[in-house]
Amino acid sequence: MSVFPRRLRVGASALAALAIISTTACTAGGGGGNATGGGAATLTVNTSFVLKTLDPGRVYEATGLTAVHALYDTLLTFEGSDVSKPVPALAESYEVSPDAKTFTFKLRQGVKFSDGSPLTADDVVFSLNRLKNLKASPAVTVSELSVSKTDDSTVVVTSATPNPNVPVVLSMPSTAVINSEVAQQNGAKDGEDAAQGDTAQQYLDTTSIGSGPYLLKSYEPESQVVLEANPEYWGDKPKFDRVVLRNMDVQTQKLTMQRAEANEISLDISGRLLDGLPDTLQTSGVQDTVYFLFLNADPAVSAVTADPKFNQALRAAIDYQGIAALYGTGAAPGAGLVAPAFPGALPEGEASTRDLAKAKALLAEAGLTNPKVKFSYPAITYKGVDLGTVATKVQGDAAEAGITLELNPQPLTTFLDEMRAGKMPMGFTPQSLNYPVADSLINNMAPGQPTALRSGWTVERADPAVVAAGKQVTETLDLAQRATAMQEWQRLMNQSSPYIVLASNSSTVVATADLTGADYTAAGWQVDVAAVGRK
Amino acid sequence: MTTVQDGEPGAVTTTAARPRPGRAYPLLVFLAKRLAITAGLLLGVTVVTFGLVNVVPGDPVTANLSDQALNDPATVAAFREKWGLDQPLWAQYLQYLGNLVTGDLGISQQTGRSVLDDLVRYVPATMELAIPTMVLALLIGTGVGMLAAVRNGRFTDQLVRVGSLLGLSTPPFWLSLVVLYVFFYKLGLAPSGGRLSTAFSPPPTVTGMYTVDAALAGQWDVAWDAAQHLVLPVLVLTSLTVALLVRFVRSAMLEVLQQDYIRAAYAKGLPTRVVLRRHLLRAGLVPVVTVSGLAFASLLSGTVLVESIFGWPGLGQYAYRSATALDLPSILGVSLFVALVYTLVNLTVDLLYGLIDPRIRLS
Repeated sequence: MSVFPRRLRVGASALAALAIISTTACTAGGGGGNATGGGAATLTVNTSFVLKTLDPGRVYEATGLTAVHALYDTLLTFEGSDVSKPVPALAESYEVSPDAKTFTFKLRQGVKFSDGSPLTADDVVFSLNRLKNLKASPAVTVSELSVSKTDDSTVVVTSATPNPNVPVVLSMPSTAVINSEVAQQNGAKDGEDAAQGDTAQQYLDTTSIGSGPYLLKSYEPESQVVLEANPEYWGDKPKFDRVVLRNMDVQTQKLTMQRAEANEISLDISGRLLDGLPDTLQTSGVQDTVYFLFLNADPAVSAVTADPKFNQALRAAIDYQGIAALYGTGAAPGAGLVAPAFPGALPEGEASTRDLAKAKALLAEAGLTNPKVKFSYPAITYKGVDLGTVATKVQGDAAEAGITLELNPQPLTTFLDEMRAGKMPMGFTPQSLNYPVADSLINNMAPGQPTALRSGWTVERADPAVVAAGKQVTETLDLAQRATAMQEWQRLMNQSSPYIVLASNSSTVVATADLTGADYTAAGWQVDVAAVGRK
Repeated sequence: MTTVQDGEPGAVTTTAARPRPGRAYPLLVFLAKRLAITAGLLLGVTVVTFGLVNVVPGDPVTANLSDQALNDPATVAAFREKWGLDQPLWAQYLQYLGNLVTGDLGISQQTGRSVLDDLVRYVPATMELAIPTMVLALLIGTGVGMLAAVRNGRFTDQLVRVGSLLGLSTPPFWLSLVVLYVFFYKLGLAPSGGRLSTAFSPPPTVTGMYTVDAALAGQWDVAWDAAQHLVLPVLVLTSLTVALLVRFVRSAMLEVLQQDYIRAAYAKGLPTRVVLRRHLLRAGLVPVVTVSGLAFASLLSGTVLVESIFGWPGLGQYAYRSATALDLPSILGVSLFVALVYTLVNLTVDLLYGLIDPRIRLS
């Protein structure tokens, strides 16, 4: 007996047809996500969004920095991928006092905000004070600075301590100059009550009030940010009328770039993911991230990791070349804590090397037989690299020297919490600089500084030579000499600090062949979208 | 029913027909009870979520501030004060409840916007995926499931069973990547992700669903583009939901097919299609409605991985981001919304029972 009625059969075929239609409905639409849209030229930037806000005083995340850099001007800036020297932007020139405490900026004349009103010294003072008093993530870069104006086109920034890096700090997107009048009308405050009283974030997330090459057209924090060329912009007109920053999973970015014909950029295809990309695409990368291990120097946390001989043995046990190979294209074996992108990095020739015999000898000297250490790391993929894969390689290398590492992968927030509590015997983390000044590492990682204390590295436990070398860096006011002092500090750090630098790795901009100026920069904004043009 | 007024010529006294006191308006009583339960449930959700977020390891300060900022005590103190984290837990909770009563879900630490605004932004995006998915899944799932039941044990049935098993065991993110590879990369038939091509701007917001809003605004090119962007994620979600539904429909229908009244119906000489439509479909639909309701609710509460691969700015992504940042106000907001959806869906399902099967009464 057939109980399959004709009507049901018809129904089933209709449904099948519907399913087919729904999947093929888009054939007529063609090219999909790559449309450039009529006469207006659109640049599409694909990136896995790390985006909380477009408020310059609060912006800290990668995607936000890319957008804010295009929407606002800062006193100084960096050009292309060169982060060694700030160049004029809103300030056409500046002077530094010999003690590196007073910086006088002469403002460019005739700069207008996107609403047509003139940009004055008052706007600069307001913006920098607001940044400082909001006490959001980027505020720490200016916490020691005070700002005032001497006339409508002169701004003086004073640092409480000698700091030759102030010009670099004032190139960062968070120091962007906003239209103070419009900002205040929408809840912005620059006084000491700003941290609790400023209510301008929502406004600044939807409207840009700057003088940069682009205007904010729309902001959807989970999907896309659309920028449009600013007709009032004082500098060279950007080549694209429209820029769309589009949130895209990194795997999808790779597929998208393989099909992209023109005007398209991706910011997250780095490391191993670069393998197999067609030659028609161009890539630009700079090694701006270092990956390092830290060993707790506090014997109360771990008698093993606190032993300097164990520290040196583990250093000698690691196969740095092999680890760099795991990172793929653009990586290098670890040298010092400063990534090669920044002034003060150690030359490539000084990369650490493996010496298993030395490792074993040091362990024997220390009387450590098969030492065991719990090795924690965040279970994440960072810039195309799965930290777990690297940790496993470290575990294998250590085992060859007779060291047992017990892997302890953790969710990121748990890892950060435990690390901050200073109770982790051994850990692994990537590190990028918040702004391109390597010696900020000294304030964090030198003995007794906050990051060092998380590894139990107090001044008392440190080699006095390291402390002295760090002091030498901060006391050197000439930038070139400071970079040299920084190298010396790293060499000493490699001998006795709790950090073992494994490798440095590149961030990459992948762009279609027709584009120019799609250079990766370690300045924080990844790529200067306003500088991207067409051949 | 026609209304006849008392006292009019020919009027019939209608007292007997009126519901008796105590059992008056069973639907209203039912709804009132459900409302009370819902309120209690939502309160429970706030207690549990609040407790859980504060018990799990991880400090919102660490999750939200930069490493450098964390080293600055003034910045950390300002953050704690701003988000009330310097208050004792009970005070934070009472404050939250107080605001909640006035409809204030708080401000998201992540986005700096009110959580309500965030929900209004993300829920429609997820709805736009969930509604077509559910319609397609119901049509296909019921049809195919019934087909498998009546073809019990034969080749068609085996095929459907294997297919649904395959569908259930396929990881959604993998399927998403496969369809992207095939339909976007290889064939170039569909866009790669997002809700709209970069050439278009979103239509003026009415419902928040781009296809609908664009159609309402008469922007047919935008509506067409938005519809194309729906195809792949809907395809993935539909195939997963169908796989679930088919198994339920099949087993529910099989059970019904073995009932005496089906045999009796055949014995009476009723044509097969009448038996299937009047008896089988109706009786088999009750469990189907239940599982569909749950499937719909789970679609709405977010399909994180699918949303993230297709760059779909929906509730799933929002929830994921809030959870990883330990953003308590938004986590609570999402939890409340999801709880509300589940209760509403259950209520709808209960009401539908009565319509499908008159033997099921409100009581």
